[in-house]
Amino acid sequence: MDGKRQHHSSFQQLEKLGEGTYATVSHAALISVFKGRNRQTGEFVALKEIHLDSEEGTPSTAIREISLMKELKHENIVALHDVIHTENKLMLVFEYMDGDLKKYMDNNGERGMLKPHIVKSFMWQLLQGIHFCHENRVLHRDLKPQNLLINNKLQLKLGDFGLARAFGIPVNTFSNEVVTLWYRAPDVLLGSRTYNTSIDIWSAGCIMAEMFSGRPLFPGTTNEDQTIRIFRIMGTPTERTWPGLSQFPEYKANWQMYATQPLRNILPQIDEKGIDLLQRMLQLRPELRISAAEALNHEWFAEFHQPAHPQQHHPQQPMMHPHRGYQQHTVPSQNVYGNYQG
Amino acid sequence: MAANYWESTQRRYWQFTKEELAAMRQKLEDEDPNLVHMYPLPQLRHINIYLNRQFNHLAKRLGVRQQALATAQVYLKRFYTRVEIRRTNPYLLVATSLYLACKMEECPQHIRLIVQEARVLWPETFHGQDTSKLGECEFFLISEMSSQLIVHQPYRTLTQLQGEFNLTPEESQAAWQAINDHYMTDLPLLYPPHIIGLTAILLAITCYNRQNAAGGANAAGNSGGLVMAANALAHAQAQSQARAAAMGGNSGPGTPNLTPQGSFAGGNFSSQGGRELGDGSNPTDPKIAKMQRFTNWLAESNIDIEGMIDCTQEIISFYDCHEQYEDLVVRDNIKRFIKARGLDK
Repeated sequence: MDGKRQHHSSFQQLEKLGEGTYATVSHAALISVFKGRNRQTGEFVALKEIHLDSEEGTPSTAIREISLMKELKHENIVALHDVIHTENKLMLVFEYMDGDLKKYMDNNGERGMLKPHIVKSFMWQLLQGIHFCHENRVLHRDLKPQNLLINNKLQLKLGDFGLARAFGIPVNTFSNEVVTLWYRAPDVLLGSRTYNTSIDIWSAGCIMAEMFSGRPLFPGTTNEDQTIRIFRIMGTPTERTWPGLSQFPEYKANWQMYATQPLRNILPQIDEKGIDLLQRMLQLRPELRISAAEALNHEWFAEFHQPAHPQQHHPQQPMMHPHRGYQQHTVPSQNVYGNYQG
Repeated sequence: MAANYWESTQRRYWQFTKEELAAMRQKLEDEDPNLVHMYPLPQLRHINIYLNRQFNHLAKRLGVRQQALATAQVYLKRFYTRVEIRRTNPYLLVATSLYLACKMEECPQHIRLIVQEARVLWPETFHGQDTSKLGECEFFLISEMSSQLIVHQPYRTLTQLQGEFNLTPEESQAAWQAINDHYMTDLPLLYPPHIIGLTAILLAITCYNRQNAAGGANAAGNSGGLVMAANALAHAQAQSQARAAAMGGNSGPGTPNLTPQGSFAGGNFSSQGGRELGDGSNPTDPKIAKMQRFTNWLAESNIDIEGMIDCTQEIISFYDCHEQYEDLVVRDNIKRFIKARGLDK
């Protein structure tokens, strides 16, 4: 059978940006990322090449990423321009970003620490991106500085949706093997399989602390070490402070009891309002964690609230009206990002 | 699965009018009239019933859940709007769609297992296929669908609203069955999932026959229920129009006009049977109360009632055409072009 196959010679490969693997059920597919240039338009692009494996077909993670990126178009989410099928490779053409947040902190931070106004701008953009995902019923599940892409206009965009999933029904079958350890929410560490949008908020809180301090907040090495590191700062929870705690698969009755440390002592770089927001993001109990929409309305972001209300930037289009069922909406033009439809 | 339906690729690229759909299919046939002439096929709905059965056989062997099975069927429908069926081995496409849908719905199946089960199931037409063929076909499928793989299903509407309308377990089951059945029609390519979900709920409430618990929402056998469904939609439409008129200031906020207006246009099931909801039934029947609640909800929700009327008709006429279905005829027709064109190798 012959599909419409394009040759990627329409892109000039410039330099290799990275290499990695897509872990799949039983295999790892090699991926390479190149900086490329569209021969026709001259625009830079990031080319993510995925080598296919006859034992696995197209890797699920790639399929998930591609399909989600096709739905999510937002200024704080890296745009997928095109998907090119070649003989044994799949090439994803993304908008070009100059680097990621990790590199940005290494190169521009003072011992990794970023200036407060930069942190605030990045957090605003990060939360806008997360808010958009959540509003569209998508969990990112793997937020970390390496997955947040930065361009030289200091725009921040969420990238790498390989582990993202849409949280449709059912919610009880999520794999608990997601999210890089350091940014992993305590409920996930405790073995919850019914996690929700709050896991991305936890990651965002960890990233905020790291941008201010230049160091990861909870650099754990194993699941258990990660859990204990969190407790050492946030306090060890009990059945009294977290009803239902003992029902988690990874609950241990003999955890060492730590008192809660005031975050302002650990992160003296952060102003009072910033600490308040961080505190709300880093709640151990997922149901107490602030939502992305609420976080964007937090007074720490007051300067971004003028003149428009944050949610008016990206009008929300819920599928269901809270009380009256389905509402029809007029959909704004989708053409902002150009039409890459094949 | 996933994301916001109103801005989805499903709504933007995979929802067509009947005319568009017919034109696309005509175009595929016109590309090679000889091929179409040499290998005649039964009506599309019968092919769909046949393919649905093949999907079910394979899914059963693999223990695939309904959601993935539904997604797989939508993939195949989308694919066949772009590629003429006679150019493909439909069995390979069924297996591949299911394989891809399982990946998307996060219940992955091993490629070897799928190939193995498909070979057992379709010894004559699948024996030449292997994992690399399936992988290649998956690639083709993804490509033809422009990598737009997230499908919004009506099941969500049902699970979200079954409480709202106090559906009994039997009614929920019947609605679920009606949704399963709609994958054998063109409806997934024509209407948004919530319209289909609501239609399924309507059919379940009106047509579900208590004596026939195993029968699902087989509307064909229950014309009284159909009249009721028609009336319900007409009422909802009238109410909704009255509301719109009231809001536009054209008429006072008085009682809405309950005369059925938009009953099934030219259909077999005109609502002349009665103007009152549930004509001929006991007015204290809880079914009537349920119907009333549903109608009011529809009228207030700004739902595309015309769309629901059309969906109801499609599903009903599908049940009619199901009566004339003959498995062997479809199977032999498909086998003919597969064998003659060497598509099984």
